[in-house]
Amino acid sequence: MKPALSLILSLGLSVAILAGPAVRGPVLAAGASDTDAERTARWQEIAKSVFGDRKIQPTDTLIQIDAPNRAMDAALVPITLTMPEKDKIKAVHFVIDDNPSPYAAHFTFGPAGDPSELKLRVRVNNYTNVHAVAETKDGGLYEAVKFVKASGGCSAPMGMSDEEAMKGMGDMRMKFSGEAQAGKPIEATLMIRHPNFSGMQMNQVTRDYTPARYINKLVVTAGDKVVFTMDGDISIASNPVINFGLVPEPGKPIKVAASDSQGGSWEHSFNAPSPSN
Amino acid sequence: MRAGRDHRLIRLATVFLAAGFLAAAPADSPVDVPEPAGLHEGVQQGYTPKTLSGAVVVDIAGLDALMAKAPVLIDVALADRKPANFPADRPWLPAHRSVPGAVWMPNAGAAPLAAEREALFLKRVAALTGGDKGKPIVTFCHPDCWGSWNAGKRLVQQGYTAVHWFPDGIEGWQDKHDTAVIRQDAEWAADPAAGERSSAR
Repeated sequence: MKPALSLILSLGLSVAILAGPAVRGPVLAAGASDTDAERTARWQEIAKSVFGDRKIQPTDTLIQIDAPNRAMDAALVPITLTMPEKDKIKAVHFVIDDNPSPYAAHFTFGPAGDPSELKLRVRVNNYTNVHAVAETKDGGLYEAVKFVKASGGCSAPMGMSDEEAMKGMGDMRMKFSGEAQAGKPIEATLMIRHPNFSGMQMNQVTRDYTPARYINKLVVTAGDKVVFTMDGDISIASNPVINFGLVPEPGKPIKVAASDSQGGSWEHSFNAPSPSN
Repeated sequence: MRAGRDHRLIRLATVFLAAGFLAAAPADSPVDVPEPAGLHEGVQQGYTPKTLSGAVVVDIAGLDALMAKAPVLIDVALADRKPANFPADRPWLPAHRSVPGAVWMPNAGAAPLAAEREALFLKRVAALTGGDKGKPIVTFCHPDCWGSWNAGKRLVQQGYTAVHWFPDGIEGWQDKHDTAVIRQDAEWAADPAAGERSSAR
């Protein structure tokens, strides 16, 4: 840990310890800023490991995060990323700050992609900030942040045996919505059957950990053009569901190629809705 | 799933006087779990009893009130376990958030616990309480976690007289207050047998 960071952390902690018992009420208010400093330091540490020395600027317009303030299910927290200036966007990175594996997903959009809205479901380990970083075509990085209250998502068991959880692994479905018009984007929902084992889930009876097995690469194409590629992580919820926009190629299928961290790979093809006349 | 359910289940604690001490029922458990005679050696995750004989069960209001007495806060929550096949090129940055000022001895509530680990736990508590068996102590981990119940039981068995069990744990705390990132207790971590959840088995 960098000296500055550990100084901030230890200062924050000792202030809390020293002042805590004596004046409890005010300390909680004062504690908030200590926590803010700690959370900022945490984000800087993660950003450094993901983006190196690249500068990340805050934005209110290039990307927005919508997520429940308090999630009903920490293993299945719905996230919506909105990028209204979609033509500027090349990629998006999603980070769950306090997850032990914080770098949840990296999407790169292709020529058939429509980045204006992207939805996914993630695991959240603790009350945490989540960050979405939009990468523009000119190489800029822009961040949005939101605080999410959920905990225990990374280690929550699926409530069934591993064998049952893996049944039909790699099966996919795709739903389309929106009216198909030549050259116009439509919305698609991709559902993949896959337990996305985090490696942190314990079988309560045997007390063994189910080894991590998660979708680490997803490539969606429309005809010959890439819609998006996704690099995934253990923080993506089981049975991944991803909502995205795409511009179909008339008469050509939408193809999805998925592979997981244990060498599994699956390909499926879907018929895009045709423009009606 | 778990957090959501717990939050829905947590009701205003029923406070009553029993056997000369104040006990609070933390959460409505769908099943009435009786206290085991000794430590609970079964599955660590699951419904826990509403009571811990010889100790006081506290909810967040009880813990807040106790804070004025500067209790020794003992967090026995397990450490995040790095998946064996986790790729080397991805960031793995576990950060344990807990009650500020707590002493974290992951898995100290396991049962059975290797004799030298149990001895180290008791030695650390003796040091943290300055040898005063009447000093308030709070044990906690997560909701539906037997570890903190066991840790409290161990201390009651050793003759500590002001043991408090906070079953709502870190989730109960963070629902009302800020958490802080804390590191493992240095002596607990220095022991080669210490570490991640798997060492409990």
